[in-house]
Amino acid sequence: MRLSALCGLVAAAVGCSSSESGGAKYGEELTLSETTRISQVLNDPESYVGQRLLVEGTVVNVCEMRGCWLELASDRDFEKLRIKVDDGVMVFPMSARGQKARVEGVFEKLTLTEEEALEQARHQAEEHGTEFDPSVVSGPATIYQLKGIGALIEDQG
Amino acid sequence: MKWRKWNNIIHRDLGYLCAGLTIVYVVSGIAVNHVRDWNPNFKIENANARIETVPVGDPRSPTVIREILSRLGASGEYRDSFRPDSSTLQIFTEDGLVSVDLITGNVLLERVKSRTLLREANFLHLNHAKKLWTYMADLYAIALGLLAITGLFVLKGKKGITGRGAWLTGMGVLIPVVFLWLYL
Repeated sequence: MRLSALCGLVAAAVGCSSSESGGAKYGEELTLSETTRISQVLNDPESYVGQRLLVEGTVVNVCEMRGCWLELASDRDFEKLRIKVDDGVMVFPMSARGQKARVEGVFEKLTLTEEEALEQARHQAEEHGTEFDPSVVSGPATIYQLKGIGALIEDQG
Repeated sequence: MKWRKWNNIIHRDLGYLCAGLTIVYVVSGIAVNHVRDWNPNFKIENANARIETVPVGDPRSPTVIREILSRLGASGEYRDSFRPDSSTLQIFTEDGLVSVDLITGNVLLERVKSRTLLREANFLHLNHAKKLWTYMADLYAIALGLLAITGLFVLKGKKGITGRGAWLTGMGVLIPVVFLWLYL
């Protein structure tokens, strides 16, 4: 009882980033009011590069090690968008999975050489705790992602 | 000398004041230092299961999802679902993830548990709280600096900073220098 009371006290003392509308805020305040559908962005990613966007979706994956990225489900099946933040600036908890989130950021394009793509695949396998399979990388790669500036994750249980 | 008396009083009382937070930082420091080897905030438990037949219907419909959860002996409550590809259904529950292979019926149950106290310690140590805690942590850092400086002058004589203390302090300064020389 005492341990859980202490935990509650610590959580109450440090859990000061909740927004008035419920949920947890990360990084800067959201400034955009209009959301862009993820499917719309993924239909023609090139035209969104460099643009500041507000996207919305269910959190389907979170960086297990550092909480430095998350993936939002698209409004269309089989699609998701990766949100990357600088280490330590925002730290997304694993408990955010399955929660609705709104994230604002700048859409960016990363062009990786084959070596960089291999290194990234290796890093991702390590993060997911799966075996690295080099055959998944067949050459240079282009990655589109949102560089997160601020986020609101609703109703974290 | 009077200054040494005050030095020792400051050292003693700051030591008492900083003890609690120092323990928090020690525990969290070791925990996050090995972030490549383990998750310092959450414990993830995996288990495999199987459902004989996947219920018919849209896999993301509440009826199908509740039926799957019921067959797995879980409560029907869930947050949301996602299909990463045509053969997989992911169901997000309060305590983790249920990943169903819609073709084979194989299920991966991933249970995420928060590491009690350690997660809170990391939250403070890594300043995820930000806001007022930033200034509190600054004060703590200054207090640690004062503890280190006053610690140098607690004793006088052979065991003080002019004797044994000088050698140990020198070694303490050399340690980071050697590692910088090695790795930079």
